[in-house]
Amino acid sequence: MLKISKLSARIGDKSILNGIDLAVNAGEVHAIMGPNGSGKSTLAQVLAGRQEYEVTAGSVSFAGQDLLALSTEDRARAGLFLGFQYPVEIPGVNNVYLLKAALNAKRKAVGESEVDAYEFLTLIKQKMKLMQMSESFLTRGVNEGFSGGEKKRNEILQMLVLEPKLSILDETDSGLDIDALKIVSLGVNSLRSQNRAIILVTHYQRLLDYIVPDYVHVLSGGRILKSGDKSLALELERRGYDWVRESAAA
Amino acid sequence: MMVNSAMRSFEEQWQRRSIGLIGTAGPIQSLQEQAMRRFVNLGLPSARDESWRNTSLRQLAASHFGDALDVPCAPRLEPIEISWLAASDIPTIIMVNGYPQLAWLDRSVLNGVSISTIKDIAKTRPGYLINLLEPLSDLEQRRWLLLNSALFVDGLHLKITAKINTPVLIIHVSSGNARDGVNAPISNYPRVIIESAKNSSATVIEHHVGASQQSVFSNSVSHLDVEDNAKIQHYRIFSTDANTSHIDSLDIRLGRDSHCQQFTMILGGGLVRTNLEAELNQPGAALENYSLLVGRASRHIDCVNIVRHNARNTTSKQTARAVASDESRVIINSKVVVEVGAQHSESQQSCRGLLLSPKAEIDTRPQLEIHTDEVKCAHGATTGRLDPDMLFYMLSRGLDRNTAQSLLVYAFLGDVLTNMSVVGVRSAIENVLIGQLPNSQLLREFQ
Repeated sequence: MLKISKLSARIGDKSILNGIDLAVNAGEVHAIMGPNGSGKSTLAQVLAGRQEYEVTAGSVSFAGQDLLALSTEDRARAGLFLGFQYPVEIPGVNNVYLLKAALNAKRKAVGESEVDAYEFLTLIKQKMKLMQMSESFLTRGVNEGFSGGEKKRNEILQMLVLEPKLSILDETDSGLDIDALKIVSLGVNSLRSQNRAIILVTHYQRLLDYIVPDYVHVLSGGRILKSGDKSLALELERRGYDWVRESAAA
Repeated sequence: MMVNSAMRSFEEQWQRRSIGLIGTAGPIQSLQEQAMRRFVNLGLPSARDESWRNTSLRQLAASHFGDALDVPCAPRLEPIEISWLAASDIPTIIMVNGYPQLAWLDRSVLNGVSISTIKDIAKTRPGYLINLLEPLSDLEQRRWLLLNSALFVDGLHLKITAKINTPVLIIHVSSGNARDGVNAPISNYPRVIIESAKNSSATVIEHHVGASQQSVFSNSVSHLDVEDNAKIQHYRIFSTDANTSHIDSLDIRLGRDSHCQQFTMILGGGLVRTNLEAELNQPGAALENYSLLVGRASRHIDCVNIVRHNARNTTSKQTARAVASDESRVIINSKVVVEVGAQHSESQQSCRGLLLSPKAEIDTRPQLEIHTDEVKCAHGATTGRLDPDMLFYMLSRGLDRNTAQSLLVYAFLGDVLTNMSVVGVRSAIENVLIGQLPNSQLLREFQ
């Protein structure tokens, strides 16, 4: 589904990604772990199409398309979803407006008609129930005045409504208490299926107790230094990241 | 003094009044004469005058304005045909070139408001009228009040005596032909006096519209006298054509524990300069001012507010939101003065501008002048482009760039719109506002 080859990117003069290779197939869940500043969030943002980053080398194909040639909005419509580490507050734009516009944009892209208002509300309410969100969130501004946990749940709500092929969740677990973590994980797991894939970007192994990955990668210095199965995450928890860096250097 | 075409035409207009070709407001004639003399001495403001630094009147100065007729061409104007704020259940007064058309008014729908012409007030209460017009001031922000005081022939007086639930709509039409010729530019001098008696409450909307092919200079003045414990919501809405130059001055005087919510909405016009001077004269007086300034094409908007806290425990809040697209320009100068003796006063000023094109320009200048201790005054001003983080977030959800931008622009104006409590008025304004923004057809889907 996603194939990243030798991807390098920089912001300004600062090179952040230095030749990433990664393949993600439908049905798989990949966890990308790594110390602060290793390039995890940059990778997520570059894949989603943030223009501030300049791709200097490499290629990315997504569902048979050249991902890097697509605009941010076309990537989303093609089925790529980024769950933000820091979801932005947009006062004055209703949550429900954004959700509806997003869903309709996607439907339009695949040649479907706009969603019927009743059908849409039924869908939203059902997904909100799963995320244990009050319906009052619908009429509030996007993330406006939401707590950290509420923002993350709202990200997952959007994901559930849009049903993306590939979800990239950037530190969705940060700032969540254990109850919120369970709710978020429940939401993410409900979307696991044979034709979807998920990339979890995280610092901590804790999230992976709830969303069990098929593969774990360690990113450091803008490169993937080591890949393994879920046991790698446990090992990282025990031994820290220096161990990976040292063995990669050896 | 610079002699220019506009100045000559103003003097000719005065001549016609002084020899009785056009009626004057009677007993106040000597005051009008004095006002004219002072205006002529001062001349038109130029870039050397501080508050006119950013607004050039060169084009206006080069025009020759004829007197506008006191009746429209058509026998009777229907409110809903000229104002998008008109509705069958809203009592409406039409003023044509500043002349109130009271014969068209269905008075039965207006309980709690007494309506008269300024001509009548000049006869029955000259002292009151003179008190309002005096003292004549040479201050630059009051210069155009001099011209209006000199040349208005009639106007509208409203006295609100009760609590009124339905809004009262005043439609200002610049209409018809000049006395000098069919297509010659015209000028008019609308004057409105609104008195809110003690304990009364009302909503008054002044809607300035254009129904004229020729170029128009409108020099309007409104007074709002809010007595003790009265509550008033006042709107001034400008939706004239690009061939209209408008200089509007609004004076507000606030009594003890009175409350005024004032909305200034600029959604039309070629050049629009608005002045607001508010005097918070008694303890407990409160003013809220909301300005929504929409620049597009080559529109030039210059908005000057001066709020004076003259008594203790007075509060003011000013919120201005400006968007500028194409080659438009918006200038906001807002000033709060806290006078000696006005302890425990509070003021807030928030001016924000949003630039939507590389050629558009917005200047905001909040100012504070504090002459006493123990006051709380806050002010902030920002001008910028759309927030790239917000934009990226919306794009990453699949919204196209135009829709995302339009939604963000609209959201930016929400700080003003959400404070408009008269639902019908708000939705009518939103409807027209959307039409003024880029990609309006996209925004309509979200209405």
